[in-house]
Amino acid sequence: MEKSFLIAGFGGQGVLLAGEVLANAFMYAGKNVTWYPSYGAEMRGGTVNCSVKMSDTEIGSVQDSTSDYIIVLNQASFDRFLPSVSKNGTIIVNTSLASDTKVRDDINYVFFPITQTADEKLNSTKMTNIIALGILARATGLLDLKDLEKALDTVIPPHRKNLLPLNLQALKIGYEYDLLHV
Amino acid sequence: MVECLKDKKVLTKGNYAIANAAVLAGCQCYFGYPITPQSEIGEFMSGKMQELGRAYVSAESELAAINMVIGAVSTGVKAMTSSSSCAVALMQEGLSYAAADELPVVLVSVMRGGPGLGNIYPSQGDYFQATKGGGDGDYKLIVLAPSTVQECADLTYKAFYLAQKYRNPTVLLADGMLGQMMEPVEYKQNPYPEIDNSNWALTGAKGRKGRIIRSYAPLASDRCEFLEKLYKKYKLIEENETEWEEIGVEDADVVLVSFGGTARNVKIAAKMCREKGIKAGVLRPITLFPFPHKRLFELSKKVKKFITVEVNMGQMVNDVRLAVNGNAPVELIHKPVGIPPAPEEIVKQIEELI
Repeated sequence: MEKSFLIAGFGGQGVLLAGEVLANAFMYAGKNVTWYPSYGAEMRGGTVNCSVKMSDTEIGSVQDSTSDYIIVLNQASFDRFLPSVSKNGTIIVNTSLASDTKVRDDINYVFFPITQTADEKLNSTKMTNIIALGILARATGLLDLKDLEKALDTVIPPHRKNLLPLNLQALKIGYEYDLLHV
Repeated sequence: MVECLKDKKVLTKGNYAIANAAVLAGCQCYFGYPITPQSEIGEFMSGKMQELGRAYVSAESELAAINMVIGAVSTGVKAMTSSSSCAVALMQEGLSYAAADELPVVLVSVMRGGPGLGNIYPSQGDYFQATKGGGDGDYKLIVLAPSTVQECADLTYKAFYLAQKYRNPTVLLADGMLGQMMEPVEYKQNPYPEIDNSNWALTGAKGRKGRIIRSYAPLASDRCEFLEKLYKKYKLIEENETEWEEIGVEDADVVLVSFGGTARNVKIAAKMCREKGIKAGVLRPITLFPFPHKRLFELSKKVKKFITVEVNMGQMVNDVRLAVNGNAPVELIHKPVGIPPAPEEIVKQIEELI
């Protein structure tokens, strides 16, 4: 089995970090995995994305033209990456920052006001990326919460460890979101 | 030692894998000047080398960096620099001198788009730069081409070893994709033995005659003798160190030849070809010098077609043609710059070519 993921949003929303947590979690789950950032003339406030691939076998290309799962954290990313969702794939949309949504009838949607939820429940819009990751983990059914928790612990640097509990909480909020209530 | 990263699987960028492996291989001095897409190597070294009481110098230019490496390795310690494309271009004079002086310089070259200033996207446009060189005179560099982040680490160990073993400048030729991508890596114990360099290193002439390392040879006869000796060494390197990976070439009609990050996609493309009934195999040179000429020639007696896949305008294809020596047609699938062509795209082009 091979699955591809793309996470996109504003620079500063923690897109690359969320991808790194996801990739670490797959590694802990015993999968082959690659992570590849969009890089070029990137800047804070511009759009940024990263691709993650997981597989039971050797991984070839690190970035494909389409992805099975795409998280878009802002409007610009929705507009750009909607066509990049694989047929029967899933797009997770942060409706707090992407409200103008078109519909494709050959893919699945998860609409969720992620940033608003982060603000209301955790008093921190910075937790948007990790809530999104929790939703993704649940939507894929490919990851245990414990692998993601371990990955968070790995990726959060020592001088930011005080933020680990908040991140774990965010992960749980996303993971426990009932997808059927979409 | 950096125990924290030994014998443990970690997800890391190719650049960090190279830097960490260099530290574990015993690199005592790092000299460099930052350039994308390899800046993480210098960044890692700037912290780690100081922590370990080793030398890190942010050089004033690439020319200075390569000459600092020459100075350091002359004293018998392991030293390196790292750079990219247009900045490796500035080091060519130093590499020629290091080859002539027979010095174990290690250069990590993380290719980006060229020519000129180019851009920061991945590329394999420096195959010629690494294997044919831009310095003067007859010389060769040992060139190793990793294809995964694990190999970025493993071949860094090897680069230091081969440089010492043959007293020859050695290049680890990665690209922007390998440098920037993350993959799990395990840092093993350095598998190579230490090489005794006490018979040539400049360690101070206490109790022995002084030594001079220089490439100037005013007498024609001296230089003839020296070059013959140098080329005997290159021949030995070819005999002993040529390394490649091959998959499904034994019964193949088409052999895909590809190196570095591009070979990842090519392996998948070959698998897809097999599923379509096209008998495709893959030969991935791991050492670009020495190049697996012999193996390609052997295969050329039964293979119907060779296709090289590269992210440049077609460079390694020339070496494949030399190796095959007219026994079979050699075609090229390429992309000028960027991440390698998708496996589906490679398969499509293979179908057009066969």
